[in-house]
Amino acid sequence: MVTDRRVFGVFPNEDKAMDVIQEMAGKPWRLERVHSPFPSHRVAAALKVKKSRVGYFTLAGGFLGFLSGIALAIYTAVQWHLTIWGKPVVAWFPFIIVGFEFTILFSVFGNVLGLLVLGDLPDYDGPELYDPRCSGEHFGILAACPEGEQEGLADFFRSKGGEARVISA
Amino acid sequence: MKENAALTYSEVDRTILDTLSPPSGGYWLLIMLLVLGVLAGAACWTYQIFVGIGAGGQNHPVMWGTYIINFVFWVGIAHSGTLISAILYLFRAGWRNPIARAAETMTVFAVSIAGLFPFIHVGRVWVVYYMLPYPNQRNLWPNFQSPLVFDMVAISTYLTVSVLFWYTGMVPDLARAREAAAGLRKKIYAIISLGWTGKHEQWRHYGRGYLFFAALATPLVVSVHSVVSWDFALSVVPSWHSTIFAPYFVAGAIHSGLAMVLTLLIPLRKIFHYERIITMDVLENVAKTIVFTGLIVGYSYGVEHFLAWYSNNTIEKTTFFWRAFGHYRVEFWTMIVCNTVVPLFFFFKKIRTSIPWLFGISILINIGMWYERFVIVVTGVAHDYIPHAWGLYGPSGIELGILVGSFCLFFLFFLLFVKHLPSISMTEMKETVAAGESHGH
Repeated sequence: MVTDRRVFGVFPNEDKAMDVIQEMAGKPWRLERVHSPFPSHRVAAALKVKKSRVGYFTLAGGFLGFLSGIALAIYTAVQWHLTIWGKPVVAWFPFIIVGFEFTILFSVFGNVLGLLVLGDLPDYDGPELYDPRCSGEHFGILAACPEGEQEGLADFFRSKGGEARVISA
Repeated sequence: MKENAALTYSEVDRTILDTLSPPSGGYWLLIMLLVLGVLAGAACWTYQIFVGIGAGGQNHPVMWGTYIINFVFWVGIAHSGTLISAILYLFRAGWRNPIARAAETMTVFAVSIAGLFPFIHVGRVWVVYYMLPYPNQRNLWPNFQSPLVFDMVAISTYLTVSVLFWYTGMVPDLARAREAAAGLRKKIYAIISLGWTGKHEQWRHYGRGYLFFAALATPLVVSVHSVVSWDFALSVVPSWHSTIFAPYFVAGAIHSGLAMVLTLLIPLRKIFHYERIITMDVLENVAKTIVFTGLIVGYSYGVEHFLAWYSNNTIEKTTFFWRAFGHYRVEFWTMIVCNTVVPLFFFFKKIRTSIPWLFGISILINIGMWYERFVIVVTGVAHDYIPHAWGLYGPSGIELGILVGSFCLFFLFFLLFVKHLPSISMTEMKETVAAGESHGH
């Protein structure tokens, strides 16, 4: 399928956008992305969106944090011995508290990093095709079609209650 | 018909974005008064820096006075923000959506202010970097077995996590504000919204990331006030050395924070005409949660006293008796009445659905919770083991000035926030509207 022509449709609500997404399945057009003002579970289900892998970043951060916290506590303890009676210099129980806090801290760093990397943020140039109303109450759908079918795709969007913009490649 | 029956996306946007319009003269007057309060507090601190820590009222045997009371108080205030934004999110409690942003903001500002108090308390603030683990020629490191160092690690983690959680949750709303703004504001919103456009791919990662944020913030919030409690519980002071301290502090923190949520939200709701978004059902649910936390706090007070009696330890028994009937009895009974008796009025629907009652009770709980920290911090050390070393404490004018300054700083930050950033999450409100839920339940 030739997909060098794109049409951007703007729909006034989720129901109309969902109609389009569902009907697009049987058409020779390719749905590229959907913009929505809030995370729509219906859209995600219709697009069969896979689970994000941001958790791997979070998990890696957590491991790194725990090891860093414990390592810092042990390193500093052996650098300056506070020997009190027979109590251990490397004391695991208090150090686990430090390790725990570092685990949370670095997990969150990993989480944010994952969001930025996977979500392609910051993206100040923005997508070429976008309508600011999609941050309010409208839903935007970008679809690609073969050369010569862009008017058909635009008419389809309009027939579903949307506005359509035909974009050249 | 419910107050939010006909709420639409555009109405949500309009109501919330209207709050970002240029403020009135009254707003700037209030800002000016708060700035004066902050300057008064800063002047007191400056005086203390020049004169020495003796400018405060702390002296042997009560070496932790108002500064540590304020520290614990503000950390506590912060906690309910995380309860609302993270824990209730995990429980899918829809009623938290209209108030989560304001509560999270409260968390960020309260932790920031709490973090100032150890600086104020250490006296020689210019060497505060000694607390950081950095290589130095003396090879002297922080002692990671000390609860005070746990506390530094926990509070700085909490502040960092809260700020990131708050900011991440706001990014889609900042994009909405970007589209509605013009001029310099538009440029600023454009930068801080990171170019967010609400692509389904962005929402995919955002949703997952937000869930992890909530899942990580939940154990963190419990750990932070537990660690704060260990500042006391790991020392061998009567009335401090108790295993109940961690859950007791966590419950108390949430109790005080929920009261502060009401104190902040009730005027916010009135001034910004948020009645259709922050419905009476939402306020009622906060009040019900306050009843729950108040009962836990009351139970904790009871258990503390029971343990002192049941242990048959003379020192413990004497300390707790003195706490209730000695020099600080007024503070003690203020604490008991405000924190455990007053919240019970919320059992009556008429009271928990009345704005004046909600506001008045929230103020009383705030006062009671400040006194709770006073009673904990002061009474144990004032009247511990050796009678000839007993002593009393009263805050000096300098300490009171810093206390007032801290409250002014908190309200100043909050007022600046509500006129410059979306004070309710538009994204979450739209989700609520889309799901067709009444967010009161």
